[in-house]
Amino acid sequence: MNAANALVSGTGIGLRQPHYREVFERRPSLAFLEVHSENFFLEGGAAMHALERAREAYAISLHGVGLSLGSSDTLAEGHLAKLARLVGRIEPALVSEHLCWGGVGGVHFNDLLPLPHTRETLALLADRIDRVQARLKRRILVENLSAYVECRHSEMTETAFLAELARRTGCGLLLDLNNLYVNAINFGFDAAARLGDLDADSVGQIHLAGHTAVDDCLVDTHGALVSDPVWRLYEQACRRFGPRPTLIEWDTDLPALEVLLSEAARAEAIAQREAADA
Amino acid sequence: MRELSDFQVDFAAALRDRARTPAMQRWLAGNGDEVDRRLAIYRANMVAAAGRALASACPVVRQVVGNDFFGGLAREYQHGTPSTSGDLTEYGSSFPDFLAGFEHTRDLPYLPDLARLEWAVHRACGAADAPDWDPSSLGAVDPEMQSAIRLQWAPGTAIVPSPHPIVRIWTIHQGGDDGQFSVDWSRSENALVTRDGFVVRVSDCSPADACFIAASLAGEPLGDAAAATLADHPDFDLAALLGRALAARQVCGFTL
Repeated sequence: MNAANALVSGTGIGLRQPHYREVFERRPSLAFLEVHSENFFLEGGAAMHALERAREAYAISLHGVGLSLGSSDTLAEGHLAKLARLVGRIEPALVSEHLCWGGVGGVHFNDLLPLPHTRETLALLADRIDRVQARLKRRILVENLSAYVECRHSEMTETAFLAELARRTGCGLLLDLNNLYVNAINFGFDAAARLGDLDADSVGQIHLAGHTAVDDCLVDTHGALVSDPVWRLYEQACRRFGPRPTLIEWDTDLPALEVLLSEAARAEAIAQREAADA
Repeated sequence: MRELSDFQVDFAAALRDRARTPAMQRWLAGNGDEVDRRLAIYRANMVAAAGRALASACPVVRQVVGNDFFGGLAREYQHGTPSTSGDLTEYGSSFPDFLAGFEHTRDLPYLPDLARLEWAVHRACGAADAPDWDPSSLGAVDPEMQSAIRLQWAPGTAIVPSPHPIVRIWTIHQGGDDGQFSVDWSRSENALVTRDGFVVRVSDCSPADACFIAASLAGEPLGDAAAATLADHPDFDLAALLGRALAARQVCGFTL
């Protein structure tokens, strides 16, 4: 089985505990289900059983939030070992991580903290991604972040940074269009124009999510419907890159499953329309 | 890697202590006020992540003290004992000890043991599934060798002793209880945490059984664990305990 090559398009949703029963009973038509890898760093039990059950019916995307690839601490080998074990057990279609750091000096903030887009960061991340791909024996996808602060000493745009990282390591990009949009508003650039920095071949997955306006900036809360500007960005991305596995991402204030399925159907319709027009 | 390291060390310091924020102006765009407000978003995330992890591990402690107070506990605990792993299911193992030393919860003396019980339940939830095992193999052991048997308890099994009625307190917070909210506060209870399939069970076990199971979980052979238990609890009935444990599939193997 080579699940990694099986998933090249289609729409998925996050599988979250309050929806387990309904998903297993209804078996909605979805290309994949995505979970946070760290929630399944378990030996066994009910949650692991649910994931294995989901795996029987769906392709699975393992989305990591804690590997802290960009930390100047040494690579968290113990964390990577747990991920490798989970990948071996679930045989996911996609494995992704965030381009971020989560802690330094042994302390972890369990958050997705932004990195300066410098040659130094690029070299560190390229080395780490090479090691992770070697350990997992597969291509991984790395995701662009939403950020609320901008590093003065960045030497290139985020998208130029992502493109170079993909070229150096052969990793794929998990393009989070909500994150790109949030950053475009927070830091004042044209998100659609930045899509032009990326090679279509490097884009392995797309995330769509909602955000919230807080004071003078947008915060990536994953707790709202996808916004209209992000849907427009998705249309442009589908036109430019072709259809890609696309996730409706929703983590806080989880709504009824129906809401997620409705958002997924909207994404699917856009992808098919853009493919027909291409 | 000096610049990235310096940036991250300064960033981390500013998250842990707002007074260190001015050092971040060297690194981040915007004026001091803007940098302060934006870093506050990350600082709030840091506390919220710790709070979610602790609430997930200790939902009953949270019910007992209320959401707002629990948020304050999480903030205090996170400040003194930050996470050291990207895997938040590991976070909170020392939360019971923190509660034991926290002056504002002194009027809830059972809280640290309740948290210990919840931590054991949290560990049991994700413990390995017990392998199939035929208990009759235990009966086939040469009687001369029986005292050397080391029982393998199903993964997740734990004993949490307490001078407080922690099993009762835990049970009435599970919902679907017997509708009686009475607690006999004079009771000492030893919680036995077990996994029954995917379900974690918590029951009150006798001081003698708790003593034996704790010794056996620590790896002591049957003979030593039973002798130590009998010395303190002359009424200890090993055969009855084994009968119950085997029937409930709490033991999943042994070594000699």
